[in-house]
Amino acid sequence: MFRRKGRTVLTVFGITIGIFAFTVMGSMAEKISLLVSGGTEFYSDKVTISQSDSLFLSGPMNVNKAAEIEKVDGVKAVSASVFTSLSKTFDAVSFGPPASITGEQLENRELESFKITYSSGRQIEEGDRGKVVIGADLVKKLDAKVGSNVKIRDKDYEVVGIMEKTLTAPDNSVVMTLPDVQEIYFGELPEIVQSQSKPSEVVNGFTVYPNEGVDPNQLAAKIDNEVSDISAFGPQDFQDQIASATGIFNAILFGVALISLIVGGLSVINTMTMSISERTKEIGIKKAVGAKTKNILGEYLAEAGLIGLFGGLLGWGLGALTVFFVNSATESSGNQIFLLSARISVFAIIFATVLGVLAGFYPAYRATRINIVKALREE
Amino acid sequence: MADTMLKMKDVSKIYVLGNQKNARKAQKAIHNLSKKYIRFTKKGNKTEAAKAEKFIAKAQRLFTEEKYEQSYQSITGRKIKPKSGKGSVVHALNGVSLEIKAGELVAIMGPSGSGKSTLLNMLGILDQPTSGQIHIDSSDVTATKGRNLPGLRSKKLGFVFQSFNLVPTLTALENVMLPLKYKGLHLRTRKKQARDALETVGLGDRLDHKPAELSGGQQQRVAIARSIVSNPAIILADELTGELDSKMTEEVMRLVLKLNKAGQTFIIVTHNPDVAKLCRRIIYMKDGRIEKETKNSR
Repeated sequence: MFRRKGRTVLTVFGITIGIFAFTVMGSMAEKISLLVSGGTEFYSDKVTISQSDSLFLSGPMNVNKAAEIEKVDGVKAVSASVFTSLSKTFDAVSFGPPASITGEQLENRELESFKITYSSGRQIEEGDRGKVVIGADLVKKLDAKVGSNVKIRDKDYEVVGIMEKTLTAPDNSVVMTLPDVQEIYFGELPEIVQSQSKPSEVVNGFTVYPNEGVDPNQLAAKIDNEVSDISAFGPQDFQDQIASATGIFNAILFGVALISLIVGGLSVINTMTMSISERTKEIGIKKAVGAKTKNILGEYLAEAGLIGLFGGLLGWGLGALTVFFVNSATESSGNQIFLLSARISVFAIIFATVLGVLAGFYPAYRATRINIVKALREE
Repeated sequence: MADTMLKMKDVSKIYVLGNQKNARKAQKAIHNLSKKYIRFTKKGNKTEAAKAEKFIAKAQRLFTEEKYEQSYQSITGRKIKPKSGKGSVVHALNGVSLEIKAGELVAIMGPSGSGKSTLLNMLGILDQPTSGQIHIDSSDVTATKGRNLPGLRSKKLGFVFQSFNLVPTLTALENVMLPLKYKGLHLRTRKKQARDALETVGLGDRLDHKPAELSGGQQQRVAIARSIVSNPAIILADELTGELDSKMTEEVMRLVLKLNKAGQTFIIVTHNPDVAKLCRRIIYMKDGRIEKETKNSR
């Protein structure tokens, strides 16, 4: 195959494109599934309370609701929280959870099973008014450093900590003290709501920590029944809302990648078949001097496998480069859309090789069936 | 003088060309029965063997009369509908018997279409005879299973083809190493043996030349080196000087004679009387039969 460079290179490119698409698409899907699994973990052992039917878009609630929820059997503690978007207008072009500001009551923090570590600085503490902790993906966008100030919603805040990458929601959020977020959130509410309450009373979410041995899913149903005007979501609800949607997305991405691989495979079949009919005589000679069927088969399968491997490596390399550049280009906006995981890489390359071998099987089989006498007569 | 290297008994080969389904069916039936016949004779089952022989003879007679349906029926007992196809049936060999001893240099001559290339293909196990038996160096070729044929080929036979048939993308040395590769020899051994063979044919200084960089005579010498490298019992040469001018022909034939003197058995198919003259034994073929045989006293 090294002696017929032009065509081999073209075929390798065919596979390259397939594997390239697969790597890039796969990385995208991988990122999503990681977000989802991170989210699943995040929501795994608690119940989240929202004012509306959606887990992610909630309306204002009175902080006193917490007392009502706490009365439900099986509830250990309730933390009020506020969640709003980082910018005033919702980020429409966003991938995964939008950049957000969050704040919650800190007294139940030790009940949280989703532990966050800090790459520098410390976590937010009670009384840290005017101070913030920044998620890993937002560092560039906000130009944040521990000790320096960042501007959020036209106000300066001091950065006291930067979170380690979690690969899920916290990466894209700014954590403040509850009163600080409440102030921001209150400002967003319609005037009619504003006139009826004050900032310290308004929250838009509660996190409910169940007693040990209590199933959060059942607890969510119970809270839903016993407390009016709210919706409670257990881990299962999160799965239902998010995982199913991303599942379809993943299927589409893998579908696209698979199609390009089929095209790549067909081009290997084509090249190998051409190459074998061109080499009929050579194969005839080899058989005449004692090549067994398995020798011929092995030779051509190895060649096809090599084409696949090269294409795979090249495609993976290009894909990895693309992922790297796009990610570093979008890092400043806090919106990384790719994650090139080891399993995608290994799978892509192995798959390319296997694809090559499989695609080479038919032409190689044809090569073994060549009639020696006819092949040798051929001019 | 020496051992028998090759024995052919009553070998026939029929090619069915194009769309002649019934002829092909009849062929297959005859072929299968002759395999059975060989097995019977081996086991010493004389009555069965005689019965099979009779059937084969009858089927073959009907086949030669172009009554393919009857021929098929005479063996299988099943009737098939007569079909008139567009193809034709070629009797390339009609019962050839031949014996060649070790160290002989045999030329096979004859006009085009006389069956000499077919005969060579039979000898070279490149093609299976329709009926008859072939023994090469005490191995029964016709009774050998298909998947063992390549091994037999690489052990017993060397080939030199009409148009050199070197792999154009490989160097002279790599071409000569090719047969050894399929014997599973170590790379260093292969290289050494191939280099020795090339030196024997006087091309020790052309190891890394591609076929296109060699003259016709040199290419043919590479081909000869390739055929002798695995120490075959017989070297089969098909028109080995067919594409060479007289000077190169002389060059190649000198090499053949030299190797023959050292004990190598050659069978050469040729059109060229000058080449045949150099051989001790000349077999003339015509219409798929051996017409006559002459011996050179040289």
